[in-house]
Amino acid sequence: MRSSPGLVPAATTTLVASVEEQVAAQVGGALEAVFEAVAETRADTAALLARVAAERRRPATVDLAALRPGLHLRLARQELVSGVGFVAAPGLLTDVPAWLEWWQTTAEGGVRPLLLDLDPNQSAYSDYTHWDWFALPRDTGERAVAGPYVDYLCSDEYSLTLSAPVEVAGRFAGVAAADVYLRHFEAAALPLLRRLPGPAHLVNARGRVAASADPAHLAGSLTKGPDFGAVLERGRPARHDGTRLIPCRGVPLVLVTAAG
Amino acid sequence: MKQQQMDGGARRAVFAPVDNRARVDAVVRRIGDAIELGLLADGEQLPGESELAGQLGVSTVTLREALMALRQQGLVTTRRGRGGGSFVSLPEVPGEERLKVRLRGWSPEELRDLGDHWAALSGTAARLAAERTEPDDLVQLRRTAEELTHAEDAAACSRVYGRFHVELAAAAQSARLTREQVALQTEVGALLCLVLGDDEYREEVADRHRSVISAVQDGAHTSARELAERCVQESTARLIALRLTL
Repeated sequence: MRSSPGLVPAATTTLVASVEEQVAAQVGGALEAVFEAVAETRADTAALLARVAAERRRPATVDLAALRPGLHLRLARQELVSGVGFVAAPGLLTDVPAWLEWWQTTAEGGVRPLLLDLDPNQSAYSDYTHWDWFALPRDTGERAVAGPYVDYLCSDEYSLTLSAPVEVAGRFAGVAAADVYLRHFEAAALPLLRRLPGPAHLVNARGRVAASADPAHLAGSLTKGPDFGAVLERGRPARHDGTRLIPCRGVPLVLVTAAG
Repeated sequence: MKQQQMDGGARRAVFAPVDNRARVDAVVRRIGDAIELGLLADGEQLPGESELAGQLGVSTVTLREALMALRQQGLVTTRRGRGGGSFVSLPEVPGEERLKVRLRGWSPEELRDLGDHWAALSGTAARLAAERTEPDDLVQLRRTAEELTHAEDAAACSRVYGRFHVELAAAAQSARLTREQVALQTEVGALLCLVLGDDEYREEVADRHRSVISAVQDGAHTSARELAERCVQESTARLIALRLTL
């Protein structure tokens, strides 16, 4: 990806917002577009599973094939998204113990299904229920951003995974999710970070750097000290030891800049 | 399911030209590993002799010798006549004798070099993880260290052992180190079954893994590196010692 994807400024940006707040809002807007792909997948899956339930039967992998046109469309349309799909909760499907209806873009620009060996007798990686992208939406009922992390299950890429729970009749059925490779996210975020007068970087709730225009804080490293989780919870800019911390609206990332 | 797991790239790598040295051994190891790892599925028909020889970049004579060795290891069966050819046949239990034959395909020097590469990967991963890890990253490593002590058999144990080192590379936040570690585990994983059958050693490995986790948690990057290197070097030393008895 050479150019950054079109970033939509958040509609709530006010005229008096500082340039830092504008940048934080635009970063949030970029990921909001990815969350739209997740929400569409979630809606498609929930409707599909409800339809199957109305036929008084349990779903099987063959039913999930109906999701494919939508998944392919989202991969083609959303420049930041390199993988998208539905990850079933174990036991949901009648024909397999566990399943990912997951599609990825290829280097040649096509799409391909991810087909994993989920047999616990063959693979040490068959249980995916502890990964943040699965466990967070399951445990909180809310949408989540996992990472940055090395995704050695699906893509072998350093990634962010955005996900949301899918429920059928109030019961957790799995997660809808989309992968953003970190190099693509950085390509989108860097032009924004460079608009700021001083060195700036983005961290997740745990302080892990997700994108950076500051050579002293590279992606993957930890920024220690501030309680970024608390900043995100309050949802307001804060100061810490010579830095400004600005939460990105709607997504769990914090913009860190030198305090002016 | 298993056959689908290999994507085009992994499958093409199986049939990529083999370099000049020890062609027969290299072909035997390449195909044997692919079968052991499930890249080639049980019952799958291999391409015809001349086609396969062409893909691997070896002569038909070399390929025949390699197929003969694979037949002797019970990994390939050959049927004659219509519908005949060479077929993958995976014995149900990964027999210890079969693995010893595989180990004999490695010279002690090659094993030493494999161990050096592994120690470089895991040592560096441990050092970086100690710099870049926060408590939530250690949950998976802890779980894996505990699973090792409960693994049912040597094969399960070696899979979990490999997963620990892959997760360590992921905790280092390095996709490249992780990919290299995954590739290395596909080479060493089956062999490790031979040394992990020993319950006492299995406990020792679990202890070594726990001490790596502690050092990573404390941010003690030098000792994290040394502990990870020592863990790997000990396993390699055991493999080499076993190889020298064969």
